[in-house]
Amino acid sequence: MTVTPYIAFARIAFLKILAYRLRYYTGIVTYMVNVSVYYFIWKALYRGKESLGEFTFEEMITYVSVGFIIRTFYFNNIDREIANDILLGHIAAKMTRPVNYQWMNIAQAAGESFFRLFMFTVPTALAILVVFPLRAPASLHSALAFLAALVFSFMVFAALNFLVGTCAVYLHSILGLIRAKYFLVEILSGLLIPISFFPETLAEISRWLPFQLISFTPLMIYMGKFQGEQLVTSFLLGLGWTLVLVGLGHWFWRKAATKLTVQGG
Amino acid sequence: MAVIEVSRVSKRFKTYDRKEGVWGGIQNLFRRNPREVKAVDDVSFTVDAGEMVGYIGANGAGKSTTIKMLTGILVPSSGSIRANGYVPYRDRHQYTRGIGVVFGQRTQLWWDIAVVESFQLLKRIYDVSDRTFEEQLEVFDAVLNLKPLLYTPVRKLSLGERMRCDLAAAFLHRPRIVFLDEPTIGLDVVAKENIRQFLKRINAELQVTVVLTTHDLSDIEELCRRVLIIDRGHLLFDGSLEGLRERFECKSQIVFELREPGQVDFGRLGFNSTVEFQQLDALRCQAVFDKKQVASAELIKAIVNSLAVRDVMLDDTTIEEIVREIYSRGEVVTR
Repeated sequence: MTVTPYIAFARIAFLKILAYRLRYYTGIVTYMVNVSVYYFIWKALYRGKESLGEFTFEEMITYVSVGFIIRTFYFNNIDREIANDILLGHIAAKMTRPVNYQWMNIAQAAGESFFRLFMFTVPTALAILVVFPLRAPASLHSALAFLAALVFSFMVFAALNFLVGTCAVYLHSILGLIRAKYFLVEILSGLLIPISFFPETLAEISRWLPFQLISFTPLMIYMGKFQGEQLVTSFLLGLGWTLVLVGLGHWFWRKAATKLTVQGG
Repeated sequence: MAVIEVSRVSKRFKTYDRKEGVWGGIQNLFRRNPREVKAVDDVSFTVDAGEMVGYIGANGAGKSTTIKMLTGILVPSSGSIRANGYVPYRDRHQYTRGIGVVFGQRTQLWWDIAVVESFQLLKRIYDVSDRTFEEQLEVFDAVLNLKPLLYTPVRKLSLGERMRCDLAAAFLHRPRIVFLDEPTIGLDVVAKENIRQFLKRINAELQVTVVLTTHDLSDIEELCRRVLIIDRGHLLFDGSLEGLRERFECKSQIVFELREPGQVDFGRLGFNSTVEFQQLDALRCQAVFDKKQVASAELIKAIVNSLAVRDVMLDDTTIEEIVREIYSRGEVVTR
């Protein structure tokens, strides 16, 4: 597989999103509102308490805020785009090109994420930083590990979305599925509540699932709560799940492609 | 040498009949009635290198399904396809390097960005060298007048402009085979002519094999020496345009106008057994005949010599009429 076309796909996604940059200004406001809501919820829960679990109030606000900030980076709509391709028949044209459909989608999402990093993540971070007291990364070491963990965060999220999107070949309308996945990921990734707050059994299971790699793992690394051996385990888990999910997607798409019917025309 | 070999190919789809109304809708939730539709049924043909073949059929006849199988998008339910040495759906990755595809109904270009960016992306996808890229753009620009469009986002182009860009995109990587699914749909006369000129030239100069579907038979008349007709999944005709004419164009007609109103005695013309005469009104008469039996020049000579006529019009059966006739008859003929 040559890489150049996929870089080109990433580039085109970047250009495409540039055409609609206005959308992001409203996005910043949405994320501010999100963080504010959680700020007040946690404030109420922490009333009269020094800390909950292993988190002080300040740490919790950092956890929630940074969680939403990195969400502006790793988020993508691959599932929705595949569903659209199939429902509207664009898939026909895309299949006539000598490119791997899965990697094309991931590359486009990467281009988008790269764009978001500058046009969305940084402004959102600045806006949140002005209003809420955030902690810096625990150390330089944690900061670097955190950035590396974001790569898995992106890959796992993208690979999951590709799997969900591919279901559209069989189900045609997957809006319900997309919504279910959305809530599942919000909870199990630890975006809304740290996984360590889950009931014991669920927490134990979640530690081995891929979802935590999206949000919980990078955040714990950021805050210096994952170090040493745990850090290594996290990275191995990230690498393993990325390979498994991408592999699954590859296999699923190959199977689904033979079942393809093209809508319209 | 055959570049496309289609042998006994069928494509079946399963669809579900839906019941009407609220109660029907509830029933649909629990029981679905599957029904098998044969979009393409036992179709075989071959296309030689450098040929330009027209593939025609009514709406829903199976044209697009065939094209989608030929381009590797759909997997045939039975039968086999080999094109350019590959099995399209199986070797999709290598196969699609050597083909170009245009779906007239929708663009292959990226909607929100300048045309040239799409070309750049295609250049990278197909690994086209800078030199070839420049050369191709020059060639396309000469016929399609592409340069003024390059820096416009696709969504701002007119349909005709968009199609010019789409065609250029399909030929950019010098494919050996190009599939055009209704490339002239919705275009005005000038735009159509533009595109036909382009196809003629590319086909002649680069020896590209072209398979095109269309509803506009003048496309076929101008571009294709060979035509395939499909109806309800069956291949009805495979042969040259002349063959099609010869086979089906039994009747020609001559309409002539008299100098002065009056009753004509057709017996005087001496074609009583082979030509069917009819007086349309006081001035105009019609002669219907078979070109194989009667030479139109002879008949015209007889008319002009024996009658006082002001005007004579020879009216050949158009391909369109032939095709309409074939669609309604639905019989199978092959060369």
